[in-house]
Amino acid sequence: MSGALSVQGVSKRFGGLLAVDGISFDVAPGELVSIIGPNGAGKTTLFNLLTGQLAPTAGRVLLDDADVSRLPPHRRAAAGFGRTFQIAQTLTSLTVLENAMIGAFLRHPRLADAARHATAMLELVGLGARANLRAGMLTLSERRRLEVARALATDPRIVLLDEVMAGLNQSEIQEVVDLVQRLNAEGHTFLVIEHNLKVVRQFSHRVIVLHRGTMLAEGTAADVLANPAVVEAYVGTRRH
Amino acid sequence: MNRPDTATMPRLAGSARQPAALVPGFWAGLPVMALVLGVLAAAIGFSAGDTFTLNILGTAMLFAGLASAWNLIGGFGGQFSLGHSVFFAVGAYTTANLYLKLGVSPWLGLIPAAALSAAVAVAVSWPVFRLRGPFFAIATMALTEVALAIGNYWESVTGGTRGMSIPFRLGAANMIFRDRISYTWIMWGFMALCLLVSLWLARSRLGYYLRALRDNEQAAGAAGIDVLRAKLLGMAISAALTGVGGGLFLFSTRVTDPTSILSLFEFGVKFALIALIGGMGTVYGPLLGALLIIPLESWLRAELGGLLPGANIIVLSIVLILASLFLKRGVMGALQGLRR
Repeated sequence: MSGALSVQGVSKRFGGLLAVDGISFDVAPGELVSIIGPNGAGKTTLFNLLTGQLAPTAGRVLLDDADVSRLPPHRRAAAGFGRTFQIAQTLTSLTVLENAMIGAFLRHPRLADAARHATAMLELVGLGARANLRAGMLTLSERRRLEVARALATDPRIVLLDEVMAGLNQSEIQEVVDLVQRLNAEGHTFLVIEHNLKVVRQFSHRVIVLHRGTMLAEGTAADVLANPAVVEAYVGTRRH
Repeated sequence: MNRPDTATMPRLAGSARQPAALVPGFWAGLPVMALVLGVLAAAIGFSAGDTFTLNILGTAMLFAGLASAWNLIGGFGGQFSLGHSVFFAVGAYTTANLYLKLGVSPWLGLIPAAALSAAVAVAVSWPVFRLRGPFFAIATMALTEVALAIGNYWESVTGGTRGMSIPFRLGAANMIFRDRISYTWIMWGFMALCLLVSLWLARSRLGYYLRALRDNEQAAGAAGIDVLRAKLLGMAISAALTGVGGGLFLFSTRVTDPTSILSLFEFGVKFALIALIGGMGTVYGPLLGALLIIPLESWLRAELGGLLPGANIIVLSIVLILASLFLKRGVMGALQGLRR
């Protein structure tokens, strides 16, 4: 399974805006790392640089020592990146099972094998009973879990979750947290963008804080969230 | 005619623990396919001797095949091409020129015709696939105009604006028959080939990939799908079959010119419309569409064409507008809706 990620001085420039500015960090196999930061900090841009939706202006991305910086998204999926999107990208005209099969085909080219693997992934995220429903009929929380199932179906080495808790209620959040922790305990490596700081505290081994495209802090959740610079980035400076 | 319906409808009942029942493979679809093809073969048998009916059946089957071929990339893949008459013409002219200049039997000539149509399709689609939605459709329409200019200019291959004809030399090897029923059987065979390829695609990895990228290219890419490769493969298969249809069309009419064979109304748009009416992205939708539209069209031409020139086209257009307003998922979609 492995899943050692190494991000080395990665930058992304959009015209005059340096959205991601020379970010470097590592994720060890089996680790669960959260990325937090205010809106516009560059979190999703960073994800897009890791999984190939965007090409970096500078820097390198290594997965298990292989340089994937220049590969298109489908080759990065083949290399071992599985991801979800901030806005769930449900394939609405396909059934729930077919959505998961789209991921499963990557390592299971035969129809029956892909269906079997996809079914197992749906059971894992608690959508087994929904397999035959058109995916457009799912609730938001179900769509997010379906995204996780499709990402897991590619047998990824590292799973990138982009705000999978957004818009979910308390019990739904707990279900997803339990799922992520269970998968992490089984050895899956996770890199997670998350706004819910309670969740971040609960499951992160390590937290990275982004602010205006740069890395503001890195460490355990308790340390990082007590850091005055982080507090200031989140709530602003106190006026006297 | 709602029998095909049972094959493409996923069943809602049943447990998720039995994926084999939820995702039927190619072989599971063959009994229904055999039944459909058998019924249509019987229709030809019953019409023997009735040249009028045989002509309509043959044309409907040719267009059922062509709309099914278009549906592979247009319906399953969501790439709304209006340029398929180009691949149709490439197939027709390849078959004809190999026969007229090198004496190659059209039966054999269909193979290079398919290959060349696919090659042309891949070459022109490569840049055009960067465009999405209506922009893709417009670009493929523009391709037809380019092809028309080339066709009119390239006299040695197409006969230029005067057109070309296939001499009437009777013989099975020349694909020239005196009776109409032989041509109807040929069109039945072509339709059967296109339907079988559709069934295969619908239940193959490539078919799933095309439907995924039709819904969302970004999600498809992130799930490991090489989006451009899947589109090009789908387009190549679609164009190869369309090219075969072009060759068969030219040998059954024995005369054409670039303006006719590259006509948007007669071919380019009609492939798409038939699939749209019948139900895009389904195995039997294009067949249903052709069985409805082609007989309706020739009946209107016979009944109204003499009365007021163009009246048949006006009525047909109204039918198409109503269908696109009220049958958004085609006749197949409406039938599936009834079952719910």
